[in-house]
Amino acid sequence: MYKFIKVSLCVLLLASTTACSKGEKNDFDPMETFGCDVLNVYNTGEYIGENTLSLFEETYNVKVNYSLFASNEMMYTKLMDNSQYDVLVPSDYMIERLISEEFLQPIDKDVITNMGAITPSIMNKDYDPGNVYSVPYFYGNVGIIYNTNNIDAADVEELGFNVFLEEKYKGQAYMYDSERDSFMVAFKALGYSMNTEDEAEIQAAYEWLLQVDENIEPAYVTDEVIDSIINEERDLAVVYSGDAAYMTSENENLAYYLPEGGTNLWFDAMVIPANAGCPSLANEFINFMLSYDVALDNSAYVGYTSSVEEVAQFLMSSEGDYFENNAYDARVDYEFDEVFVHNEVLKQKLADLWIKVKSK
Amino acid sequence: MKSFARLAYPYMFWISIFIVLPMLMIVFYAFSTQGNDVLTLQFTLDNFKRFFSDPIFPMVLYRSLKIAFMTTIICLAIGYPCAYLIAQMKEKDQTMMILLITLPMWINMLVRTYAWRGILMSTDLSSEIKVLIGMVYNFLPFMIIQIYTSLAKMDKSLLFAAHDLGANKIKTFLRITLPLSIPGVIAGITLVFLPAVSSFFIPILLGGGEYVLIGNLIENYFVASGDWNFGSAISLIMAVLIMASMFLTKKLDYGNKEG
Repeated sequence: MYKFIKVSLCVLLLASTTACSKGEKNDFDPMETFGCDVLNVYNTGEYIGENTLSLFEETYNVKVNYSLFASNEMMYTKLMDNSQYDVLVPSDYMIERLISEEFLQPIDKDVITNMGAITPSIMNKDYDPGNVYSVPYFYGNVGIIYNTNNIDAADVEELGFNVFLEEKYKGQAYMYDSERDSFMVAFKALGYSMNTEDEAEIQAAYEWLLQVDENIEPAYVTDEVIDSIINEERDLAVVYSGDAAYMTSENENLAYYLPEGGTNLWFDAMVIPANAGCPSLANEFINFMLSYDVALDNSAYVGYTSSVEEVAQFLMSSEGDYFENNAYDARVDYEFDEVFVHNEVLKQKLADLWIKVKSK
Repeated sequence: MKSFARLAYPYMFWISIFIVLPMLMIVFYAFSTQGNDVLTLQFTLDNFKRFFSDPIFPMVLYRSLKIAFMTTIICLAIGYPCAYLIAQMKEKDQTMMILLITLPMWINMLVRTYAWRGILMSTDLSSEIKVLIGMVYNFLPFMIIQIYTSLAKMDKSLLFAAHDLGANKIKTFLRITLPLSIPGVIAGITLVFLPAVSSFFIPILLGGGEYVLIGNLIENYFVASGDWNFGSAISLIMAVLIMASMFLTKKLDYGNKEG
């Protein structure tokens, strides 16, 4: 509910700011500079600062059509239908797939001059070597969030993801309702690579998830997990780091832990589709998103780790919103952490197994 | 009269664009392989084989039919007496009662189900019972209104005639009221069973994600895994089943009229 109110307020705010700004337009002519004055942006929900888009619209005298996708797969299907967007924000594995299927165009590094401000350790990753097609937006891990009043911190730290097998926490946990995230947890709990193709390991992971289902009867949820954990309906869950940063800042009983056995390291990045109607404005937009003030506002609002190094550092400093917040401080170069690579064959297999776990 | 027929054209257009075409696309997806484009079209039965080769999918289908069936029976058991009592009331009270029954429907179904989530979350009921409660609550008004409508338009003089001819109350009900209300019952059953069998947000919200129905399977394969072909195949299997059950209930209706 809180989320809903937040979104509606955001919409209202956007509507009012654009309405107000109509009277005092600046003289900038986007048609002359970019050859177009409408930008179509496609992003995940709750993933942008509340004033970011209106500020861009005012600065450049353009209109931004902002649409939301529920999952990377949804976005992919939309692209296949020849829908036209100028900027997308998919995840690493999807970017890799989009590049290999020639859906993207290279970004213009002459325009994106703020590229140098990005944290060096998150550049040049396997999903897009040399960052030819993509510019990092947010990044982070997947970790365990728990309520320190009801869950023993020693258990979480000792067992890592295997804490989900502890029968004494029956009825207290959430699991992420997605085959990718759940199997990632299972693979790492068992000490395997999440990119395994080994039949026996997949079977073991499946059985691990069945065991979790039997031992602690978790509820399988997606975004509801955020509010439910904050409201202390349940005490233990697997969450994305940015959500954890927000959750721990809302409720001081919550703590976040990254298993020593390793977890998922993920990147979301801005890309420009090959069929974009307005690539020059798209490049300008990407550059705008990387500018210090915009990135600061953006990251502070959504809670995910900014790709802009100075912004992330400021937000973690004693003046920032995420001071001493270990969830915001994403773990990048840890030897057991992995990027979960796209694998079409594996994906179908995991999807079927995941349905089986849930349907038991 | 003929000139009025033209008024149907916009509707025909609407149907063909928003109902027939999407249906055809589902059939098309269900029989083709993933990542197909028009140039390298490949038809296959694999999606259906996949559905029936793993016991989990038919089991989910069975579970959906079972809970939809139970929902329908419970709605009928509560709805019929309710509709009957309302139909017995004074005309003014009837309008009031029907208003009261439709009143909750002014609020979005999703919001009302969220409210139930708040109520049921802390109870120890099984997910199945929680989902069942949610479904009965959401679909009961459809049953009551359908049965009430057919009872309300019944010719009351038939009841007096039966009474005059010596039939007692039970006999009057069994021989006159019940048969005349059957069309309403059939319509009510259809209106409850169809949304119940394909519902996906009630099990998500009230079943805690661990109670998977066929609607969730379809949603899962479309949205989460992006496997539109398998999702379409499941939709098609369900559509065929629904059509078969509609056909059966229609048969029941006609059979009743003949007898």
